[in-house]
Amino acid sequence: MAPGQKIKAKIKKNLPVRGPQAPTIKELMRWYCLNTNTHGCRRIVVSRGRLRRLLWILFTLTAVCLIFWQCALLVFSFYTVSVSIKVHFQKLDFPAVTICNINPYKYSAVRHLLAELEEDTRQTLKNLYGFSEMTPRRRREAESWGLAQEGRHPRFLNTIPLLLLETGEPGQAREFLTGRKRKVSGKVIHKAADVVQVHDSRKVVGFQLCSNDTSDCVLYNFSSGINAIQEWYKLHYMNIMAQVPQEKKINMSYSAEELLVTCSFDGMSCDARNFTLFHHPMYGNCYTFNSRQNETVSTSMGGSEYGLQVILNINEEEYNPFLVSSTGAKVIVHRQDEYPFIEDVGTEIETAMATSIGMHLTESFKLSEPYSQCTEDGSDVPVENIYKTAYSLQICLHSCFQMKMVEKCGCAQYSQPLPDKASYCNYQQHPNWMYCYYQLHQAFIREELGCQSVCQEACSFKEWALTTSLAQWPSAVSEDWLLSVLAWDQGQPMRKKLNKTDLAKLLIYYKDLNQKSIVESPANSIEMLLSNFGGQLGLWMSCSVVCIIEIIEVFFIDCFSIIARRRWQRAREWWARRTLPAPEATPRAGGQDNPTLDVDDDLPTFTSALRLPPALGAQVPGTPPPKYNTLHLDRSFSAQLKDTQLPPTEV
Amino acid sequence: MHVKKYLLKCLHRLQKGPGYTYKELLVWYCDNTNTHGPKRIIREGPKKKAVWFMLTLLFAGLVCWQWGIFIMTYLKWEVSVALSIGFKTMDFPAVTICNASPFRSSKVQPLLQDLDELMEAVLARILAPTAPHANASRALNATIWNHTPLVFIDERDPHHPEVLDLFGDGHNGSAPGSSCSAQGCKVAIRLCSRNGTVCTFRNFTSATQAVTEWYSLQATNIFSQVSPKDLVAMGYPAERLILACLFGAEPCSYRNFSRIFHPDYGNCYIFNWGMKEKPLPSSNPGAEFGLKLILDIGQQDYVRYLASTAGARLLLHEQRTYPFIKDEGIYAMSGTETSIGVLVDKLERMGKPYSQCTVNGSDVPVDNLYRDYNTSYSIQACIRSCFQSHMIQNCSCGHYLYPLPPGHRYCNTRDFPDWAYCYSTLHMSVTQREACISMCKETCNDTQYKMTISMADWPSESSEDWIFHVLSQERDQSPNITMDREGIVKLNIYFQEFNYRTIEESAANNIVWLLSNLGGQFGFWMGGSVLCLIEFGEIIIDFLWITIIKLVALAKALRQKRTQARYDSPPPTVAELVKAHTNFGFQPDVAGPDPDPDPHPGAYPSEQTLPIPGTPPPKYDSLRLQPLDIIESDSEGDAI
Repeated sequence: MAPGQKIKAKIKKNLPVRGPQAPTIKELMRWYCLNTNTHGCRRIVVSRGRLRRLLWILFTLTAVCLIFWQCALLVFSFYTVSVSIKVHFQKLDFPAVTICNINPYKYSAVRHLLAELEEDTRQTLKNLYGFSEMTPRRRREAESWGLAQEGRHPRFLNTIPLLLLETGEPGQAREFLTGRKRKVSGKVIHKAADVVQVHDSRKVVGFQLCSNDTSDCVLYNFSSGINAIQEWYKLHYMNIMAQVPQEKKINMSYSAEELLVTCSFDGMSCDARNFTLFHHPMYGNCYTFNSRQNETVSTSMGGSEYGLQVILNINEEEYNPFLVSSTGAKVIVHRQDEYPFIEDVGTEIETAMATSIGMHLTESFKLSEPYSQCTEDGSDVPVENIYKTAYSLQICLHSCFQMKMVEKCGCAQYSQPLPDKASYCNYQQHPNWMYCYYQLHQAFIREELGCQSVCQEACSFKEWALTTSLAQWPSAVSEDWLLSVLAWDQGQPMRKKLNKTDLAKLLIYYKDLNQKSIVESPANSIEMLLSNFGGQLGLWMSCSVVCIIEIIEVFFIDCFSIIARRRWQRAREWWARRTLPAPEATPRAGGQDNPTLDVDDDLPTFTSALRLPPALGAQVPGTPPPKYNTLHLDRSFSAQLKDTQLPPTEV
Repeated sequence: MHVKKYLLKCLHRLQKGPGYTYKELLVWYCDNTNTHGPKRIIREGPKKKAVWFMLTLLFAGLVCWQWGIFIMTYLKWEVSVALSIGFKTMDFPAVTICNASPFRSSKVQPLLQDLDELMEAVLARILAPTAPHANASRALNATIWNHTPLVFIDERDPHHPEVLDLFGDGHNGSAPGSSCSAQGCKVAIRLCSRNGTVCTFRNFTSATQAVTEWYSLQATNIFSQVSPKDLVAMGYPAERLILACLFGAEPCSYRNFSRIFHPDYGNCYIFNWGMKEKPLPSSNPGAEFGLKLILDIGQQDYVRYLASTAGARLLLHEQRTYPFIKDEGIYAMSGTETSIGVLVDKLERMGKPYSQCTVNGSDVPVDNLYRDYNTSYSIQACIRSCFQSHMIQNCSCGHYLYPLPPGHRYCNTRDFPDWAYCYSTLHMSVTQREACISMCKETCNDTQYKMTISMADWPSESSEDWIFHVLSQERDQSPNITMDREGIVKLNIYFQEFNYRTIEESAANNIVWLLSNLGGQFGFWMGGSVLCLIEFGEIIIDFLWITIIKLVALAKALRQKRTQARYDSPPPTVAELVKAHTNFGFQPDVAGPDPDPDPHPGAYPSEQTLPIPGTPPPKYDSLRLQPLDIIESDSEGDAI
């Protein structure tokens, strides 16, 4: 006999095949309860008295239910996050700082483009409020009051007329141009009227936007003429500027040397070369410090003297009186790869002041799917990024709107970048774009375009918390010499002195080099979940995966095999009763069919060698465990076991 | 010999111990252990046995793997944070107030006389190079100028930049830079060392910066030679600066402020510093319960070339900390009322091993020079101390802006002619800064005051008159107005509705967490516990014992073989002898009646006296139940 076989035989004898050989399900259950490792079951079987048994069944079932409940809770709370906040003191990368003059273009440079519009605006003011002479506080170049163009036909007021609406008589409006009343159709939209109840003024100013076939009109009115005129002016302004090529616009705006008088960073001098140009449609030329992604400068000292210090020349003379009504500059602190949304989130800077902005860096990292609905780099958001910069929610919303605009109105809105194969809207090519734009904008605000649902927030972002404080600059005693030296720096002729209201000083610095990071991390891992399962199973029933396998084995495999066996037995009996003359065919199949007895294939050689061959019928069940009290039921197998023994006898 | 004896003793003990084979041990273990898997291995048929064996191994592997993960996680020393927000009665922050101008011009004028004249000449030269030298007749202090002069660098020819002295007249009568504008020429400071042999030029892109830098460098030079007492006297005294003070409903005055001298801002005054007296608490939110101050910054008395920005400088900080007002301070504008709502943002961190923070700075290898102020450690203090120590190392004198270590002096041109050159190279050196950053550690408890700043015009035009009258009367006992809109500052500092936000760290994974997860894993896969581990350990020890016994027996057998090889008359019983030795543990039947003469009776007494070493310990019931099987299995096993 080969050693392997010998071992096998020996093991078989020493550790006889045992298993749920129970003939009935009840016996199987009993066997299971007595032998399982879980704690409750045994008590059910060994308890005496019905009440106790019932109680134990109840307890066991309760424990099972509790386990299921708790495990379900654990599974449902799997995708939760824990937040950690860390503070590091380290050398920090200085953010990109974009500085814009509030006024986009030098008025003297754009004047020839806007002359007609200006004329119309003045005429409107004259008609509406009855004054004609505007005396700007100081405007050096003599302004030619539109005398030369007296007989001109007002083009812009014809295209989109400004109207004075009488609230008393709906549908009636007076045109500024002609003074005659005219019928107004279309729905009336109060700008912001649904937010704030407009006090019941008698007269409201507004303008009407019509689509091509003038039957469909929308009327916008405003509670104050200031808003109406500015909005109206802006519409036409965008219309005009949209036709001007980019290079020309850059030339009309401020150059870096004009805007930045002095600059120093980290105690070292810097100049216009350290700034990169960024052309914003509504703010003209903006200049970004430290915008190059691969050569970011960093700060290794906190405090104002180690940050960015610039003196800006705002040059109030060149301001456009209708487009902007405030003076100063706008500044925004952002990441190098981020698009500066200067109109949305910029900080304004006053002239004749030193604005010191202390920064605190906070970084946040969120976990993306499945923990939250955020996107890592925007690649999974189905909106094309027209800004060509790093993804952010703002960029997505603006891109989404612009794409919708191109799709619906056939042209792109002026204040946002141009998508591929599109052009900015203007009257010449898209006569009714304004109507389309306002309709679309309303829909956007009411979240009807679906942009808000498509766009997701970015998972990680850097935020610079700014503490802004102001001080008087230049101080009374130093004003004299400072202004003249600054004028020299600007390269201006000696006699022309700078005015302090043209200048603004800006200091941007890290207050300290602490970087706060807020990091989300998964609160649960799979091993935590498993060990929590283990804890629950162990607590209620002292159970483990082995028990679960046991349960599967007993309740699914063994139960079915028992049922199948009994069925088979019955069928065989029934068959035997019906067809007595054919007893040989079925037993063989039965013997091989019985899965529990398959293992005993080579048993006869072994048993016959050691044990008494005559006790064949009694011995073969050797499989049943001696401890199982099912032993006495072995006889129930006898009929069948004979069959299993048949093959060797045949051989 | 001694060791051998001892080993033998051990051997005897061992031989008394586990008298069974590996296999028996395994079977016994599997049958009796409390872990769930092994039991099933021995209870079922061969196929199931194999399955269960694999399962048990798999589960054991899984448990080990998961334990590894948990222990690694634990050793990462992660923290979790708890955030709490609310209002509670808290100590009002210390408020440091400075004037933007360090000194009063009227007091400091005699000191700066020469420098101011020089500056005026420089400005005139820059602005109007062709104008006749009206001030040439005036005697300028040449020593100041010659040490660190301002120069023009003519960059119109980019390949050959020309350096021109601002006052140099040697260029055939025409003043240097006569045709220079800001675009063509740059103003630079010449810094020289070693008696003017090694020079560098500190370039500026704008003349404004150059002259400001130059002036402050020269002023530093002058002030560093003045005694601290005189410096204090030249600054703004508390009674001139602080006109009115109200804390909550309690009146306070300039006497409630402690003075500290700041090199950049002169006399600074700290309210509620908590050095001598107990810090004042504030138990209500809102401006009515905060600190209200009226200051007069006296803008007309500003040092002309030193303070171009006018306003009060303000910093909120913790009690008993040094105010680093230049870094973290904010401005308050004159002629306005500045309201500051305060939220105390506190971060409490765990020390080692969770993070590299320091509790009191005692483990930082930098001598804290701010200790003289009796203040606690902060990273700013550390970095400045670090710089000052580098300064003393390289330039052998201390910089005026930082405190002095004992036994050293401040830099000035008279005693240390090279210091400006040395300082400017050191100051711009990135390696120096990085060395300091890496050396200094942040503090574990970090408090920041988040401010919400708002401003309004003050005093209003209608109230201006009487307010100025009252204030003038109070301060100067004068019926005339002695102050103006450009000098007066009103400050309100108060707690916001929520005045604290505390982020507290706690260990994310403590030992309880670790144990319960280990238990959970072990329980989940195998239903095991610590006792099971102990059982397992016991079995391992048993295994080792058996191994040792077997090894010893083997060694002995080998030796015997050798000795028998030496005696050339091998008795026929030798083979049996060897066998007896190899199997002495488990051949009770053979060992008992062993007739062979033992070659070393003294060495192996246990072998013979051992009654039935092969008999399994009586505690193992498996052996009890089936002694016949065991014997049989053993003999078979041996045969194999």
